[in-house]
Amino acid sequence: MLLWKAIVHIPDGFLSTPVWATMDVAAAPAVGYIVRRAQRGFDDARVPLLGVMGAFVFAAQMINFPVGIGTTSHLVGGALLAYTLGPAAASVVMSAIIAIQALVFQDGGILAMGANLINMALVGVLAGYLPFYLWGGSPWRKLAIFAGGALSLLASAVLALAELLVSGVPMPASVLGVSLALFLVSALLEGAITLAVIQALEAIQPGFVRKPETGRSFALGAIGLAAVLLAAVGVLVASTAPDGIEKLGLQTGIASHVRSLVTTPLTGYQVAFFQAGWLRKASAGLAGLALIYGACLAIGRAVARKRSV
Amino acid sequence: MHRRDPRAKVAALMVFLVVLATAHRALPALGLALVLLLSAALICARLPLFSALARSAIVLPFSLVFAAVCWLSGDPARGFALLLKSYLSALAVLVVVSTTPFPALLRGLEMSGAPRFLLMVAQFLYRYLFVISEEAQHMTKAAASRGATVRGFMAGARFRAAAGALAVLFARSYGRAEDIHRSMLARGFMGRFQPAGALHFRGTDAVFTIFASLAPVLLRAAVERAM
Repeated sequence: MLLWKAIVHIPDGFLSTPVWATMDVAAAPAVGYIVRRAQRGFDDARVPLLGVMGAFVFAAQMINFPVGIGTTSHLVGGALLAYTLGPAAASVVMSAIIAIQALVFQDGGILAMGANLINMALVGVLAGYLPFYLWGGSPWRKLAIFAGGALSLLASAVLALAELLVSGVPMPASVLGVSLALFLVSALLEGAITLAVIQALEAIQPGFVRKPETGRSFALGAIGLAAVLLAAVGVLVASTAPDGIEKLGLQTGIASHVRSLVTTPLTGYQVAFFQAGWLRKASAGLAGLALIYGACLAIGRAVARKRSV
Repeated sequence: MHRRDPRAKVAALMVFLVVLATAHRALPALGLALVLLLSAALICARLPLFSALARSAIVLPFSLVFAAVCWLSGDPARGFALLLKSYLSALAVLVVVSTTPFPALLRGLEMSGAPRFLLMVAQFLYRYLFVISEEAQHMTKAAASRGATVRGFMAGARFRAAAGALAVLFARSYGRAEDIHRSMLARGFMGRFQPAGALHFRGTDAVFTIFASLAPVLLRAAVERAM
């Protein structure tokens, strides 16, 4: 089980050059942005707090939670950090953790760090924070915290799997199925552990956990969350069975019809004006993700506007 | 090698990693050549060779699983590539990190453009990592001595106890961080960190960078030409 959790820290040598290079290029501005965001909320004086919280997450991974039949699990911590420090600071702390794990413990690659940062420090924290942000103030608070913990792990793991698959690491269906099942179990455990720790924290000192505002629209929140989930699962599905889907299309004769009916700029998952095949796929993928991100952003703004009315 | 500027070592490391990552042909020979290169670096730096080689092997269990999957899927070459590349990358990082004090490494990264706020967080993290880990170890030992590892017995209660332990660790860490903050203020901290002594990139560092970067490139070219 722990070996599978280790998947999320991708070592060097696993990802193909287009994948790790794209991820590094994408991660650099994203991390820069999130650091600036965090600095707005925390001045230099709070750096010790973030550092110590990072050390806490490291140390917390030593505390084992019994989960029946002789197995134990441990907290990964992205969601917990987001609920106590806020998402931007949580991302910064997770980034520092990933950097130290790669440099000091050789856990995770250097070239692959862009991918690891995106998976865990950015998407993982965001996916973990979203349910809390949307429903943390509602009566569904406990479920939101649980869901956040589970989603942060699930999103990171699914993205990591997708990156490995796109890089061509062979994963027969059985291995993939087992991996996904293990991830799901780990995700549920992360949710349970996160919830238990948050509850224990609130018993010690209620001020530790942030208070999200009440009154968010349930429906819009559900749509936003569904979009994020679809993005993560979609990337995975697209990377696992591109040939399968194409073959199916050819067999049923659908493909030729579709080509004539719909010609969007991203037809056939390829952006027309790029030469190299991998560049087309990667840019189409990134464009897709950007579209979904933009949709989430728009939904978030709509929710905020609705709130302020 | 210990005295070289961290930026020189990081630059050479990046070249090494990219040369390794983009290699597809003649991997066994290239792997051997690069292992020898790194071993030579370790010996020159007077670091214990075998413990370094062994320590880099922590990446292997994970890579072995994937290599096995590759082999069973009929692509053993890829499995071997995975093993080789992950091991060599870990070894290369180990060489750099073992010859560079951590604060100097971070300073080099900062002067190369990484966000200072992030690096400062990393520095504090590193500083308190072992302190807090020790506290966590004490807590697990205390819990074990109170019967927390008894199997199957009241798993729900043990779960909640572990969560409570984590929460206490969190509260203690947070309190510690507040104490640090207060002592910084008491020592005249003005709210912004001033950069510590700048690193000097000297001629020897430039020479080192050139040779250390060229070495893997030339080795790869030689190996691929010979095959």
